[in-house]
Amino acid sequence: MDKKWVVATMSTVLALSLAGCAADSNKEPAASNSKPADTKGDNGAASGGKTKILYWTPDRHDADFMKSKIDEFNKTNKDNIEVEMTVMGDNYPQAVDIAFASKQAPDVLQINDFQTYYKKGYMAPINDYMSSEMKETFKDSLLENKNTVDGKTYTLPNTGQIWRLIYNKDIFKQAGIENPPKTLDEMVAAAKKITETGKKDGIYGFASPFKSSSGFWRASNTVAGASNNTGIDGYNYKTGQFDFSMYKDIALALRQMNEDGSMLPGVESLDIDPLRAQFAQGKIGMYINHSAEPGVYKDQFPTTANWAAVAVPTTDGTIKGASQIIGGSYIGISADSTHKEAAWKFMEYVYSDSLQSEYYEKGYGISLIPTVISSGKKPSIPGIEGFLPKRYDAIYPANPLTITEGSLEGSKWSDAFSAFVFTGGDVDSIIKDLDTRYNVSLEKARASGATDIVADPSFDASKLQGKLSTEE
Amino acid sequence: MKQKKIHAYVFVFPSLFLTLVFGIYPLLWALRYMFYDYQGFGTPVFIGLDNFGRVMRDHQFWSAVGNTGIYALGKLVVTIPMSLLLAIILNRKMKGRSFLRAIYYLPTIFSASVMAIVFFIIFNSYNGILNQLLIRFHIINEPIGWLSADHAMMTTIIIAIWGAVGNYMLLFLAGLQGIPNDLYEAASLDGANEFQKLKNVTIPLLGPVMQMIIMLAITISLKGYESIMVLTEGGPYGKTEVMYLYLFKLLFPVSAEAQSIQQLGYGSAVGFTTAVIVGGVTLVYFRISKKLNDVY
Repeated sequence: MDKKWVVATMSTVLALSLAGCAADSNKEPAASNSKPADTKGDNGAASGGKTKILYWTPDRHDADFMKSKIDEFNKTNKDNIEVEMTVMGDNYPQAVDIAFASKQAPDVLQINDFQTYYKKGYMAPINDYMSSEMKETFKDSLLENKNTVDGKTYTLPNTGQIWRLIYNKDIFKQAGIENPPKTLDEMVAAAKKITETGKKDGIYGFASPFKSSSGFWRASNTVAGASNNTGIDGYNYKTGQFDFSMYKDIALALRQMNEDGSMLPGVESLDIDPLRAQFAQGKIGMYINHSAEPGVYKDQFPTTANWAAVAVPTTDGTIKGASQIIGGSYIGISADSTHKEAAWKFMEYVYSDSLQSEYYEKGYGISLIPTVISSGKKPSIPGIEGFLPKRYDAIYPANPLTITEGSLEGSKWSDAFSAFVFTGGDVDSIIKDLDTRYNVSLEKARASGATDIVADPSFDASKLQGKLSTEE
Repeated sequence: MKQKKIHAYVFVFPSLFLTLVFGIYPLLWALRYMFYDYQGFGTPVFIGLDNFGRVMRDHQFWSAVGNTGIYALGKLVVTIPMSLLLAIILNRKMKGRSFLRAIYYLPTIFSASVMAIVFFIIFNSYNGILNQLLIRFHIINEPIGWLSADHAMMTTIIIAIWGAVGNYMLLFLAGLQGIPNDLYEAASLDGANEFQKLKNVTIPLLGPVMQMIIMLAITISLKGYESIMVLTEGGPYGKTEVMYLYLFKLLFPVSAEAQSIQQLGYGSAVGFTTAVIVGGVTLVYFRISKKLNDVY
């Protein structure tokens, strides 16, 4: 008789266990963790043998190179320091959280989410360790909420993603199109033409990985930032409010390409790697992505396709703001490390001009360090030339998008626009709804002190241009 | 007698301990955050029932609940009759019976995530094997978007059925083997044909087993999300988002590209709500299916 209650209770318990597991892996909230610890590094000397420094990174593309450089450091450093590098998987953020919660954090770690790591008190400031020469090198590259908070520096930049339109030259030629598109209208027309001539061979004009919300985000964010001078990520730096109208033109262009049938069939379920595989096979005319692509087409999906990268198209063909570079934060020292000085010695080695120049020249990433760009040789990896920084490429200041989405009710902006691209609707009311919801959540985040990023009335994205490179 | 009792406690202890430590404790740990605004850092702020108010307003969550209903129903309606039929067939004396049972059971032991990747290779529209076959045999001219907004739910249900039939077949087989043979002999003497035997002997006597199997099937379907996560990530734009996938994303916002923040407070409230829904559906089912249990 009571069996049903037992069974119902058991199934409830089983069902709840997912939430239980999740919580179990997270850090106990503690007010003491909400502020970064002071830097009181010891001298790094472990009793007797070597001082062991643990270094965690989620980067796999440069793992062999970094390992060889770390081996070199272990052999040559005179401070008896031994660095052990661990390359983590896609669950890096969870692994870091668990490590800090269980007091097993690495001494040096990659800072892949600066604002959150700062709030969680994971990083130790490095100002006191930096030599004056090093401070000089990075003086124009540091950004509030990406490297520094309240005058304290926690991490320095190394490389960044440069975003471009990537296109297959041969496909464009076959369709009789001379040049890659400069405006959104040209992009829509080119995609249509390519599909008309290539469809019989399975060739389509455009693609983006719409399986996840990154599909719209990849295709639109750089275009929006370059087409206006108010901001990026839906955030208007001038007014300090979210204003998603910056995506209206690109959303309409993508919708049009979908209606024209110019997108690769199945883009709705496409991830970035299957997309790249199709591009490598010469099935896609163009897509928008970042400077990892030369490495991808060299090693991951070797291709004979004749491809190149150019600036993304904009609404009217001119860059009014700046083309986004994603990057700015790289590695930092754990606030919990008992060997902060030794950790710094390693960090200093990683940021040394010689290591960073070699990293850049070998094509592992586009350097954001001006001295490296100006003094180092250009990387030689095929296809990289289109990604080298130009005058219009710039890192935007930090914005409160991630913090805002932490308490956002309803769908995120890229999901809402993705749905519009495939199902249509009234784009203006979608934008209005997003603006309302995001600004309510932003207000909440500001009121609770979760973010102190406010309006900057003097902001003009075009003024960001030329800081990294002056090449036109 | 007393010693016997002690023995019982000793035997129960290991699993009780593990359940308490790894099941109940983290559960209670998580549940208190239902009433807090907490994103994994800083001090949690007590907000009373606000998180539940947000659950009520959350269109995405309720659309995920609706999707879960479609997914579970679609899966059950096909899986249960199919596995019962297979069990009845494979319960007869026939050549290769064990081999066939093993074949049908095989999908159960594969990892759901690995199989989802294999099914992606079969179903994706740009170079999927299924579309290529259909085009080659001139059944279709243009590739069908099996994972597009229109068909993605159907595709995930097909995959779920494929993974579940063998499992329930085995459970039904166990049930069938518990039915005494003399009842069939008696039915034969009374002149019953195969269909009458199925209708009047097999199905009624399977009642209690069937009640448990359907209960299991309901809870498992309502909680299923692994293969959907790999196959579609809940997309395109939320069309295959199910309750537990939505919950999973709130608690583990794993994203290779965009940065996201864990929503522990709200996630706990959603977790509690989903658990109440699953528990509620199970209870209702038990009420309705009471008759199945009144066989003996």
